[in-house]
Amino acid sequence: MKAWLTHHRQALISSFAQLLKTPFASLFTLLAIGVSLSLPAGLYLLLQNMTQIVGALPAQTEITVFMQNDAGAGDISAFKSRLAHIAGIRDSRFVSRNTALAALSLQMGIPDLASELPENPLPDAWVIVPSTAEPATLKQLAASLRTLPKVALVQSDEQWAQRLQALLALGRYMFTLLACILAVALISISGNTIRLQILTRFDEIEVSRLIGATSGYIRRPFLYFGALQGMLGGLVAWLAVTIATMQLEPYIHSLTQLYASPFRLRTLSIEEIMILLLGASAIGWVGAYLAVGRTLAQIEKSP
Amino acid sequence: MITLAHVSKRYPGGYEALKDVSLDIANGEMVFVTGHSGAGKSTLIKLIAAIERPTGGTITVNRQAIGKLRRGAVPYLRRNIGLIFQDHKLLFDRNVIQNVLLPLHIAGFNRHDAAARARAALDKVGLLQREKAHPVTLSGGEQQRLCIARAIVSRPSLLLADEPTGNLDSEYASEIMVMFKAFNQAGTTVVISTHDHSAIAAGNTRIIRLDHGSLQT
Ligand SMILES: Nc1ncnc2c1ncn2[C@@H]1O[C@H](COP(=O)(O)OP(=O)(O)OP(=O)(O)O)[C@@H](O)[C@H]1O
Ligand SMILES: [Mg+2]
Repeated sequence: MKAWLTHHRQALISSFAQLLKTPFASLFTLLAIGVSLSLPAGLYLLLQNMTQIVGALPAQTEITVFMQNDAGAGDISAFKSRLAHIAGIRDSRFVSRNTALAALSLQMGIPDLASELPENPLPDAWVIVPSTAEPATLKQLAASLRTLPKVALVQSDEQWAQRLQALLALGRYMFTLLACILAVALISISGNTIRLQILTRFDEIEVSRLIGATSGYIRRPFLYFGALQGMLGGLVAWLAVTIATMQLEPYIHSLTQLYASPFRLRTLSIEEIMILLLGASAIGWVGAYLAVGRTLAQIEKSP
Repeated sequence: MITLAHVSKRYPGGYEALKDVSLDIANGEMVFVTGHSGAGKSTLIKLIAAIERPTGGTITVNRQAIGKLRRGAVPYLRRNIGLIFQDHKLLFDRNVIQNVLLPLHIAGFNRHDAAARARAALDKVGLLQREKAHPVTLSGGEQQRLCIARAIVSRPSLLLADEPTGNLDSEYASEIMVMFKAFNQAGTTVVISTHDHSAIAAGNTRIIRLDHGSLQT
């Protein structure tokens, strides 16, 4: 147990030493890893902010509720009081059948449309402005409106919101794709630097093997190195993303002021930073593991 | 300690370096392996250390059958064997004591014990004064002694030396042979391959002769 701890401490120290031994090469590798990682991290942040904007956007969707023809003034006021108990409604407006007919006659250019018709064919209606454009919530709202008494028809126009959501979903898909592609690229970057290191330490590996080192002992410093390098690369990516958002902040601020929106640009949270750093070290580790595995196999073959 | 039964070794090229070799080396024994260049001395040593696997017959070292050893078990077998190589295999990117510390680090000794053991080993081969020196600055004989120090530092029960006096003049060579005798006296089993006849003639040590891969009796 103690030996195990000693081995791990040694491996960690030697990884730092290896990084510092070739400071410029290390710096460039870290930059390469960091820049690659900052792409998906930045896209992720962009998507998160977009989602936030969409959520906070004044819902331009309207839900129109048509009442049944026999609904009287009492039913209208009952509907109104029921409406007050339904969540997710920003505004509501009553359009009586007479108002609707007047508007229609104006639109059609027939001033005495009302007197031409035996009776007003239009129903009373409510125009309801929901507080969000989120499709699932809209659907729910429409459903609960449908259950109210004397309601004939509920019409909601969700298309606009749906399109936006589809766009965001596409963005998320692209994020996943980008993250996967870059993970593969980073595994090979990490594997390559480890491979170079193995070449310069080939004698040490061979001798260690001959005097009783296990594969684990030989792998360990390289795995640590790969993980450390990945994590530092992740740190670079975090810095890059943070600097980029700080640069954007004033523009976003003036823009949101124009629209009197409470929106604030969001940076990476602690959890997201942790995921970024851990993910980056995991990728570095995998790259190192693959590289060392191949080299060990070569040594076994040619003693 | 070491038993070979009808062992043969055919290298991938097809060359048969050892042919039907059977022998026994007892615990605490010291033996020389001799023969012309290419006779198979190094091959025999490599088989005992599980660096190569036999292509026929069985080798048992410390009651473990080398041919059937799992890859994961090889390191633990080797920790009980002190290996001295024909070509030193010293690490030139570190100083003398760090070379000797390597087997102890691998075995997981703590820093303090390891340093004490490494000094003791260097003292035995007369290199304690040079502990901070770099291997390149050592003479051929000193490099060979450093290699011996690295082999004995973990106190193995078996010492395998492949031509330890190969490129040394006879004065250095006999100095090193005296060292091996001392280790053997302390209870270590010692197997030395050499084609230096003066070293062998000196004592009454058992000699195993190889000729084109076969045992000569
Ligand atoms: N890895 C290998 N692949 C193929 N042939 C080999 C290999 N190693 C050794 N041989 C061959 O096996 C034979 C015995 O080699 P070995 O190294 O055991 O001889 P040796 O007795 O140690 O000779 P020397 O005194 O020159 O060191 C030689 O003919 C050599 O060419
Ligand atoms: Mg040889």
